Amino acid sequence: MISIPLTYFLAAGAALFGLGLYGALRRTNIITVLMCIELMLNAVNINFITFSRYITSTGSQVTGQVFSVFIMAVGAAEVAVGLAIILAWVRRRQQVNINEINNLRG
Amino acid sequence: MNWQLIAFAFLTGATLYSAFRVATDRNITHAALYLAITFLGVAGYFLLLGAEFLAAVQVLVYEGAVMTVMVFAIMLSEMREVRGEKVSVGKLLRSRYWGPLPLLIGLGFFGAVMMVLRDPNLSNRQPASANASLTELAGALLTTYIIPFEVVSVLLLAAMVGAIIIAKRGGEES
Repeated sequence: MISIPLTYFLAAGAALFGLGLYGALRRTNIITVLMCIELMLNAVNINFITFSRYITSTGSQVTGQVFSVFIMAVGAAEVAVGLAIILAWVRRRQQVNINEINNLRG
Repeated sequence: MNWQLIAFAFLTGATLYSAFRVATDRNITHAALYLAITFLGVAGYFLLLGAEFLAAVQVLVYEGAVMTVMVFAIMLSEMREVRGEKVSVGKLLRSRYWGPLPLLIGLGFFGAVMMVLRDPNLSNRQPASANASLTELAGALLTTYIIPFEVVSVLLLAAMVGAIIIAKRGGEES
């Protein structure tokens, strides 16, 4: 039995998401931006699990866990493709600053 | 004060501090290691909420796979962030750097969520006596959510093939 109020977990998730959002917008290193996006995905997972725990009808309780499994899979796919793109870019241009990655600019 | 609140406070401190370091640390290798601590903290939250399977998956996927790939990429690309770069006001206004805007957006998001959390319907909510068992999770994955499950497996396959092709082609052209 959990004695912690629902809002504590949600506040922790919101703080984690806020930190990730701040980092993703502020950092100029492309790998760190990817890390901050992972932080945001984790914050969303905390919220999903929290709500699944605090739903009292038994049939729908498992839904939150299912969705966070999906989020983890999508996050892993994102990291694999994202880092492959970053590595290919770094090998060609020796550049990791997102302000300099503007090859498609007209 | 019971042990759950103590564990929650400890987890929150560790997770949020290391997340803060991820978002601000100039040394990218340190940021990656702090990210590992953050993932462990999130796994701790899952344990606290009674989702043991997801805590195990979190450690396996994030600590095992994602962190390895990230550290690998950092080592391969030999990137280091410049220490103590000066950002002047004029530079900020020329919109190359966004100045305090990211901080405002992050804090604004957190504040907006905290406003929503003041709803008494949320704070008075009681948890279910037991969390969904692993059997129920497996059942739901393979019956109700079978189509999303298959789509995700195709997505993972496509991501794997795509990652190999992108990394390989980049090597040939350089």
